[in-house]
Amino acid sequence: MERGFIKRFINTITRSKSSDDSTMSAISDEELVQMYIEQEDELIFEEILSRHADKVFGLALRITRTTEDAEEVFQEVFITLTKKIGTFRGESKFSSWLYRVTANASYMRIRSEKKHESNLSLESYAPYDEKGSLMGRIRNKDWSSRPDLAIFSKEAVTIIENSINELPESNRVVFHLRDIEGLSNEEAAKVLGLSVAAVKSRLHRARLFLRDKLSDYFYEWRK
Amino acid sequence: MTNPPHGFICKDVVENIMDYIDKELDLETLSELEKHTGMCPECRAFVDTYNRMLDLAGKLKEKKFVTPEIRNRLRILLQSKVKPS
Ligand SMILES: [Zn+2]
Repeated sequence: MERGFIKRFINTITRSKSSDDSTMSAISDEELVQMYIEQEDELIFEEILSRHADKVFGLALRITRTTEDAEEVFQEVFITLTKKIGTFRGESKFSSWLYRVTANASYMRIRSEKKHESNLSLESYAPYDEKGSLMGRIRNKDWSSRPDLAIFSKEAVTIIENSINELPESNRVVFHLRDIEGLSNEEAAKVLGLSVAAVKSRLHRARLFLRDKLSDYFYEWRK
Repeated sequence: MTNPPHGFICKDVVENIMDYIDKELDLETLSELEKHTGMCPECRAFVDTYNRMLDLAGKLKEKKFVTPEIRNRLRILLQSKVKPS
């Protein structure tokens, strides 16, 4: 990136200090990081933070499950970022690199605390019976035609949040990255150091479990 | 997944749902799957509720966690760690 442009850019953000400034949003994450590596400018750091703070906190919270732990991880990640951002080589997306740093810090945390994890295993979780039939298991709890008002109600959102937190850790983190954060199978695999097949299989069981949980909830709710 | 000998049963729909949603099924498997769901209201309800669950999960992305207080605590910490006086 040419110098004059960077200068103009910094002038713009210094003046506006607004992250939704259109000049700012035209800069990619990777370009922004490159600028930060070159200049260590605090304003650029603030912009990186604004873009990624909730993603980092959200993933840390999903893995550790307490806001105290999540905040500690969040702090650790951004301190690491100021010190080790030079190790970001631009081979992957910056957000993938950041998710990986966050996931690793979160695992360190839950391991050091030996936090209780449920022994629930979803390895063979499935909604069908031994003959492979769904007969009578799904339709009487069908909630798909409920109005959006009910499906996206605060209560329903709380139910899915709580149900996600019941998932075993290995399924939970995959579901978070794929279906909440919207990463592809390949990106999630890279972040977690897993094969694409492992990501897909963990995601599959997580989704089956959550679909069932929501069906139970909406079924009870109707009564 | 290989094609079961007597066409799809519910289990085959469930086990292929991810590739179905991602449009990654080969044509033959896709047509088997749709033939089954066309006849099986249970599987139609399954596919519909599965999709709705994903819609709901997608809503969680909008959630904000980092309050100005959390950001401020980070700022203070960074100042103490990055620039030791
Ligand atoms: Zn069926």
